[in-house]
Amino acid sequence: MLDFVSKFTKQELKYYKLNNKYFLANSELEKNKLDQKEQFFGLFLGEDIDGEFKPAFGLLDWLSKHSNEKVFVKDIGEMDFLYGKPLRSRHILRVEGETKVGFLKLIQNEHDENLGYGKIVGDFTKTEQVIKPKLDRGVFLKREKKTNF
Amino acid sequence: MSALTDRYKEMGGEIKFIKPRRCIRVNTSKISAEALKARLEKKNVELEQVPFLKNAFYVKSKFNLVSSPEYLLGLFYIQDAASQIPVEVLNPKSLTLDMCAAPGSKTTQLCERVPVIAVDSNKDRIKALENNLERLGFDNCIVYLLDSREIKKKFDSILLDAPCSGNYILEEGWLKMNNLKRIQERSYLQMELISKAISLLNNDGVLVYSTCSLEPEEDEFVIQFALDNFPVKLEKVNSIGDDGLTKIFGKKLDPTMKFCKRLWPSKTNTIGFFVARLRKC
Repeated sequence: MLDFVSKFTKQELKYYKLNNKYFLANSELEKNKLDQKEQFFGLFLGEDIDGEFKPAFGLLDWLSKHSNEKVFVKDIGEMDFLYGKPLRSRHILRVEGETKVGFLKLIQNEHDENLGYGKIVGDFTKTEQVIKPKLDRGVFLKREKKTNF
Repeated sequence: MSALTDRYKEMGGEIKFIKPRRCIRVNTSKISAEALKARLEKKNVELEQVPFLKNAFYVKSKFNLVSSPEYLLGLFYIQDAASQIPVEVLNPKSLTLDMCAAPGSKTTQLCERVPVIAVDSNKDRIKALENNLERLGFDNCIVYLLDSREIKKKFDSILLDAPCSGNYILEEGWLKMNNLKRIQERSYLQMELISKAISLLNNDGVLVYSTCSLEPEEDEFVIQFALDNFPVKLEKVNSIGDDGLTKIFGKKLDPTMKFCKRLWPSKTNTIGFFVARLRKC
């Protein structure tokens, strides 16, 4: 997980690991635990699946406050991104931080709310695909369909 | 007509198939009610403040709100107005136990106010709860996959939104599928759960008991059982709805049962619901 975090910020992140899941360390919350083993603890940061770290939106929100590796998108870009579509330069309001191909960026709407993250795949000054989505909040729809409650 | 239908008249209600008004609860940990209203109105969603709830709106929308960025960002939760009442009635000030937490509508509502211990024994439903906690962005909830009857820690406030048989508004064909035997079975489980909840309350602690059942066996009779067997008293529920029943099916119940509220869909335009507030003495 820390490897993923280091791509966005040098800020220290204290975490608590529960099986393959990572949560934000929280000493106050810790005091409230029951005797039994918990399943989920406070802010969920992500999990290791088949040896690969998969970030959660708790981590992306945390990173949004501690990193300037951000791409801000217009309304139309917001909808496209949430539907898993790549971002084009016309979707972009502004870019903060690195602009080189291959770098990971947090994707923010105009209210600076995190929509997910993606990878730079093109030149922001040209009309072409610039961000390939890696994870977007549209995933909640898929998960809700699966759990169906 | 089912065997259950005839009972409703005696309870002061009636079977009337209504479609409850669609309602959202604002996640005030992320956005104010005013700001969310402005954002959704810009997208031509019609919002009307729910008069008996602080941060809830009735909504009308031409598109499915679940697919909106505001929903995916966790700025609101789609939750029937009646189902928002128990947390308002509990009004917790400190760590709270949510005994049957999943899928998390009331848990996340609690999280806006206080840290929460959320317990549920159903693995699939727990996944839905975790998903909701992640979407709404809360960092103050610990979730346990556990039968709440195994808990030992004591609390000042507890929410027991008990598993129940439901009501005819929630499920098509509910009246045909349900019978008194099934309701009685639920009632036994509810009595077990309320006994446990009271045992986990500190003295002077508050328990809110709720169900989405309209059957007295799952509501007033469970509360009567608690009053008869434990050091608890009922406190007035300030909300919409009819007073709890003090006499039904030839049984005379505690006069303070009127402090509870039962919500008849035909009268409140919500799902059927029952809420009681108990204090340990």
